[in-house]
Amino acid sequence: MGDFIVQDCTLLTKTSGLTAAINLRELRDRVAVCRQDVLYHHFWETPLVPSFDNPDYRNDFAVWALLHLGDRVLAERLGIIDSYTFTDMEKLREQVLEIFDERLNEVHVVPSCQPGGEFFFTEAVTVVFDTGKRIASPKELPGAIGTMTNGSIYYHFFEARRREPVGIDDFSTWLIDFPGQEVWRHALQTVDFVFFTLTELRGELVRILEKGGAS
Amino acid sequence: MTKFLSSYEGLVSATVLGELRQLGNRLAGKRVVHVNSTREGGGVAEILDWMIPLMRDVGLDTRWEVIAGNSDFYTVTKKFHNGLQGFPVSVSRREWQTYREVNEENAVRLRPILEEADFVVIHDPQPAALLGLCPDRKGKWIWRGHIDVSRPMHSVWRGLRPFVSGYDASIFSMCQFAQPLPHPQFLIPPSIDPLSPKNIDLDPEELAAVRHRYNLDPDKPLLVQVSRFDRFKDPLGVLAAYRLVRKVQPVQLVLAGGGATDDPEGQEVLDEVLEAAAGDPDIHVLLLPSDAHRTINALQRLADIVVQKSTREGFGLTVTEGLWKGKPVIGGDTGGIRLQVVNYHTGFLVNSAEGAAHRIRFLLHHEALRNKMGGRAREYVREHFLLTRQLREYLTLFHILNSRQEASTIYV
Repeated sequence: MGDFIVQDCTLLTKTSGLTAAINLRELRDRVAVCRQDVLYHHFWETPLVPSFDNPDYRNDFAVWALLHLGDRVLAERLGIIDSYTFTDMEKLREQVLEIFDERLNEVHVVPSCQPGGEFFFTEAVTVVFDTGKRIASPKELPGAIGTMTNGSIYYHFFEARRREPVGIDDFSTWLIDFPGQEVWRHALQTVDFVFFTLTELRGELVRILEKGGAS
Repeated sequence: MTKFLSSYEGLVSATVLGELRQLGNRLAGKRVVHVNSTREGGGVAEILDWMIPLMRDVGLDTRWEVIAGNSDFYTVTKKFHNGLQGFPVSVSRREWQTYREVNEENAVRLRPILEEADFVVIHDPQPAALLGLCPDRKGKWIWRGHIDVSRPMHSVWRGLRPFVSGYDASIFSMCQFAQPLPHPQFLIPPSIDPLSPKNIDLDPEELAAVRHRYNLDPDKPLLVQVSRFDRFKDPLGVLAAYRLVRKVQPVQLVLAGGGATDDPEGQEVLDEVLEAAAGDPDIHVLLLPSDAHRTINALQRLADIVVQKSTREGFGLTVTEGLWKGKPVIGGDTGGIRLQVVNYHTGFLVNSAEGAAHRIRFLLHHEALRNKMGGRAREYVREHFLLTRQLREYLTLFHILNSRQEASTIYV
């Protein structure tokens, strides 16, 4: 049973080299060929990117469909995609393309944006570093999470799902080695985290762990 | 004044400051040189003014070099500035030659420093030619374009592109500003220093003194636009909006602009503004010295509404400054202003003098909403547009370039 190593991460966005899309057909065509990192960024990394407040939708395509294409139907269909359940980016791409194609078949005029409202495809590089902090026992977990940066929360709770064991946050994985922590693990794995900001999620994680108690 | 990260405790969380130190520790001793064309005036000089000491504080051996140029050089680079933002200009062969010659003169002085540095950050087009004049460079070179080059005059961009293509990476404030280049283009919006004279809290006596000095009426709503006297900032459009508002309610306007040593066109625009404002005692056109930061700070704090009605804009730090002071901002629907001004949340985006006038009237009639928007505006800046975020992104970039990895996740 090793200590939990608290990592932190910081993300830097860069251009993807793809031309900006001005309508749904161009969006579809770019999504069909973009790198997985681009798809990942627009679906997974949105909690780390500045936004004014809690948006209705947590992926950039749904937000663009709503704000710039003015297509509420498309926004709703894209918005409900739970990208964190997709461990294979190609499966996610397939579903998104299916939604685009379905919508393109339904509309008489391809939805387009106004000048200045183009969709810019970006991706990010994440730098991960060891904070030097260690958590020795589950009892320390709520307090430690309470003082983590947003970068640490993102890395251990969101980004972790991409790493082995796929689909599970780092806290739950660590707790496997400690007998009697099934309640905590269950609580962590059932958090509906999509609509939390990272700051809110930190508070929620502390709340459910304190509520569950440590053995 | 030397700045330290610890000074920002209370303005940002301790974890944010700790994160910066950890990123810096892993780059300790690396030599960083920033190069630009003016030590005073304009957003770039203001950013470097805080960035240099804070990079030093987190462990990097950082210095700031300013290239020297004559009036011909600044006339050419002002043309670049205008041309890159889409304004029609003509740059002659002789002027391109002047650009190269001044960079060559500066390279003689700077070459030993630049070639030894681990990271060189060249700000804007003025010193961009230095890269090709430092053939024995050891470190990574980054070109930082602060202005919107999304729709440049083709001839100007075609002339400048060879000077920036050879860099290891470039930085733009927004993806909308970038041009295709054969290297990674990172996106780092600028930020403000909450402890700088331009943004630090001021006591009521100082505000009252500034109000008195400029003969501002405490009983009349005040609109303030702070920016260089530059056509893209549209001071004449602000005057037109003010006149539309004044038809229906009393209001006063301050247009305050600092001069910058690399902007020879400012006087011409200022003269046009003075002519347009002549005879109206409620219009205050202030040409302030480049060190009048506390005065600008006070004017923004005295404002009921901050205006930044630019028609083209790099990022628009004066918008961030206004938001940080808890003021809703009426901003031109362009460039980085779009990142900061969110309709009904932190202010309004407008596309015309009429639109600006309409939103000014709306906000002047809804004081409670105005105050609520101002409160949100300040918190938005605290989270996204303070210098700590920008410093973190620069350190992240240095780590990325230092790692020599192509992966999307880098462990340091």
